[in-house]
Amino acid sequence: MVNFIIRKVLLLIPMMLVISFLIYAGIELMPGDAVDFLLPPDALATMNPQELEILREELGLNDPFLIRFFNWLVGILHGDFGYSIQSGVPVSTLLANTLPATLELSVAALFISTLFGTLLGVVSALKKGSIGDNILTVAGMIGVAIPQFLFGLIMIIVFVFNLGWLPVGGRMTPGHEAFFQRLDHLILPAVVLGLSMTAGVMRYSRASMLDSLGKDFIKTARSKGLPEWRVNLLHGLRVALSPVVVLIGFRLPMLIGGAVVIEQVFQWPGVGQMFVAAVRTQNTPVIMMVAFFSVLIVLIASILIDIVTALLDPRVKLS
Amino acid sequence: MEKDTVLEVKDLNVSFYTNQRCNNVLRGISFSLRKGKTLCVVGESGCGKSVTASSVMQLLPELSRIEGGSITYRYRDEEVRIDKLGKNSSQMRALRGEEIAMIFQDPMTALNPVFTVGYQISEMLRAHMRISEKEAMARSVELLKDMGVPLPEQRVHEYPHQFSGGMRQRAMIAMAMACKPKILIADEPTTALDVTIQAQIFDLMLELKEKNDMAILLITHDMGVVAEMADDVAVMYMGNIVESGTAEEVLGSPRHPYTKALLASIPVLGRGHNQDLQPIKGSTPDPFDRPHGCQFEPRCGFSCPECSLAMPEEVIVSGTHMVRCCRCKEVV
Amino acid sequence: MNSKSLNRKMDELQRKEKAGLLETSNRSRTLRKLTSNKLALIGAFLFIVMVFLSVFAFLFTQYDPNAIDLRNRLSPPSREHILGTDQIGRDVWARILYGGRISIFIGVGSALGSALIGVSLGTYAGYRGGWLDSVIMKISEVMISFPQIILVSLLVTIVGQSLWNLFFIFILTGWPSMYRMARSQMLSIREEEYIQALKAFGIPRYVIAFKHMLPNAIGPTFVNITLSTAMFILQEASLSFLGLGVPLEQATWGNILNIAQDLTILRSAWWTWLPVGIVITVFVLAINFMGDGLRDAADPTQVG
Repeated sequence: MVNFIIRKVLLLIPMMLVISFLIYAGIELMPGDAVDFLLPPDALATMNPQELEILREELGLNDPFLIRFFNWLVGILHGDFGYSIQSGVPVSTLLANTLPATLELSVAALFISTLFGTLLGVVSALKKGSIGDNILTVAGMIGVAIPQFLFGLIMIIVFVFNLGWLPVGGRMTPGHEAFFQRLDHLILPAVVLGLSMTAGVMRYSRASMLDSLGKDFIKTARSKGLPEWRVNLLHGLRVALSPVVVLIGFRLPMLIGGAVVIEQVFQWPGVGQMFVAAVRTQNTPVIMMVAFFSVLIVLIASILIDIVTALLDPRVKLS
Repeated sequence: MEKDTVLEVKDLNVSFYTNQRCNNVLRGISFSLRKGKTLCVVGESGCGKSVTASSVMQLLPELSRIEGGSITYRYRDEEVRIDKLGKNSSQMRALRGEEIAMIFQDPMTALNPVFTVGYQISEMLRAHMRISEKEAMARSVELLKDMGVPLPEQRVHEYPHQFSGGMRQRAMIAMAMACKPKILIADEPTTALDVTIQAQIFDLMLELKEKNDMAILLITHDMGVVAEMADDVAVMYMGNIVESGTAEEVLGSPRHPYTKALLASIPVLGRGHNQDLQPIKGSTPDPFDRPHGCQFEPRCGFSCPECSLAMPEEVIVSGTHMVRCCRCKEVV
Repeated sequence: MNSKSLNRKMDELQRKEKAGLLETSNRSRTLRKLTSNKLALIGAFLFIVMVFLSVFAFLFTQYDPNAIDLRNRLSPPSREHILGTDQIGRDVWARILYGGRISIFIGVGSALGSALIGVSLGTYAGYRGGWLDSVIMKISEVMISFPQIILVSLLVTIVGQSLWNLFFIFILTGWPSMYRMARSQMLSIREEEYIQALKAFGIPRYVIAFKHMLPNAIGPTFVNITLSTAMFILQEASLSFLGLGVPLEQATWGNILNIAQDLTILRSAWWTWLPVGIVITVFVLAINFMGDGLRDAADPTQVG
């Protein structure tokens, strides 16, 4: 198992190298001067052209592309992510301020969609053809078809404006910053972000469960005289689960992408909101670092998914 | 019900309702299984052999049902009507595994891939007996050992995919034998296995039958297996039993053209390559477009105008030998 | 389904079968399954209607979708403006009709474009294997690791914001999943014996791949095209909602929804955003219905 994890992590390195190369190439292609990205804007404003040229030489901006890339990469490994063009704040600081909020939102949405998606899908499969199953199937189809932000807007109108149960937007009310006091802020965005994934997981786990229930070993289990709950939940669900986990892993990038939009709708002060603002203002260093970290998170999550799959299914070889 | 009969099936009708159609898969079959004897049900694929086995266990798929007839099991000198029990009722569950156990065609898919073999055997034990997990595991090791699985202490903790096909079927049999059932239903248990393994598995089944005085209902399409294993034989064609009786009666003096044709189509070992093998002409009819009378009539060399009118009644030709053919007297 | 209603259904079938009402159909099994799938038919119907309305938009409204009428700002639905007007007096119904042209074009066009690239690469490389396959596979792996919306925004900032740029970016980010689907199909078909036979005949590789193997993967390809179309429609909507998609001057379904970022308008002028939201949902639903129908029809293991 340990070997398996180590090998997976080692495979991550060439992948991240390729991706950071692409991202750096992106930076180079962006409109604008590279000095702008590397120095705090205050310092930049006080310089004259000669000083700037010396600085370019010192910073290695006149070096060949590959060497510049290498220097940039070494900088990243040292935590030097560049500076925001807009505010002059180091990107590392910006990320440190926004990443926790995004992780909180994404993990909550992941939790909601995994729990409810699997639960409803399994119930739907066990009650195949019932009224409840049909309602869930239709709900699942709509859940996949509705734009997430539209669902978010409708939820705001219903729960915030009409019913007044929940606060509008933001992550916390000042003075109430403990986790449980923030839950009322978290619940709407997390539910909305989790929606399409819940619907997707539900449809998939229903199909996977039905598939599993049609297998021969279910007949074997029945022929042993086992009670139905044991046949369905132990033998059926256990086998149906690993494809669902794979699907969840596959959908993670969509979840992170969805966070970008949902943070905007709910004014959630996370990476996504910062990203949208950066794209609107062509704030290259911020855009690139967000892209870099989103890929890193996706890749790390996919390793975790591989591990869970291997734990669930003994046929998956670890070697 | 005769005294030495453990299972009696009378006039059983089963229909399947898939694809928005109604297919009469079993069209009134009757047979009885004698205590400690092997009954072979033989026929081509699609003739309803496996459905017969599933009906006895009340394990028919969702879109199908028993339309009529009876399935009676002798349970401690009482007669239990299996067809009247609910599909997953507690009485039915008590019978499954403990009284009637089943092994399947493909041991690859019949064992759950995510549980260890030992777990799946002890699950059977614990479903019917009040024993601890530890005792059940110890029993599982013993069972595997009895079935001839080498290194049972180690293999009990392995998963099905780590077993070879033959070993997997042995594990399957170990599971089926766990509660010492009165009847073992084997649905083409060796179709997925090599010929040499096949013989080993059958030897094992015969040995277990002798030791436990257990009746076997063996479903097969292989006449060679029938000759080797059967005490009684039932030949099925398109949902009917067309001929039945003791192995001697049916194999020694077949009276139905289909049985005759089946026997004529098998090569015999040692007779060299100049054997006159006769394949049965034509193919099985579409179940939705069946012949009106005898189902075998379009392919039969003995057919007469009467054959296409109605399915012939059961005729007892001698002893327990039953045939459904209106020209059975001429077929010798 | 509970056993009582199941039994009743079986009785009904048995009665019909006995009366000889269930004739064996000569139509192809796939077509029969497709036409008996009511949802797929509804989906196809809705899709055709909505495409028709957009293409012939000028027949269904007399308004120009971009005509500004500052005297009629945010007027609710009325006889003149059946879905009211937006914050600068443009007719919402006209904008939905004309916006459909661009949104549907982007959705369907990008899906077809991705399929063209992804499936042809996947078919050939999947069959040939070797370095070509592993290189393309690595590229697709890299692309799939990016959350789609982040990759698209990234590319938008590099090449600039325009309708055609978005179209090409969608194709660029959409082909890897098509490639993987086609490739996995090819990998299983490659092992079939008829392919060995064709190889033995000395048939050129590309002929085997495209003429003999590709037709076997056509079912999953169509299913994937419908799924991608739905995904691109939703993505255009999200991006335009954020103001990163098609430039705001052009009416698209997503751009119409952009107005809902304003909380006051969101609360007070539902007609500016709710109808177009419903239109997007219904359109995506219709495409998914068709996709599900195709999947069921193409899957021989499913029985109805």
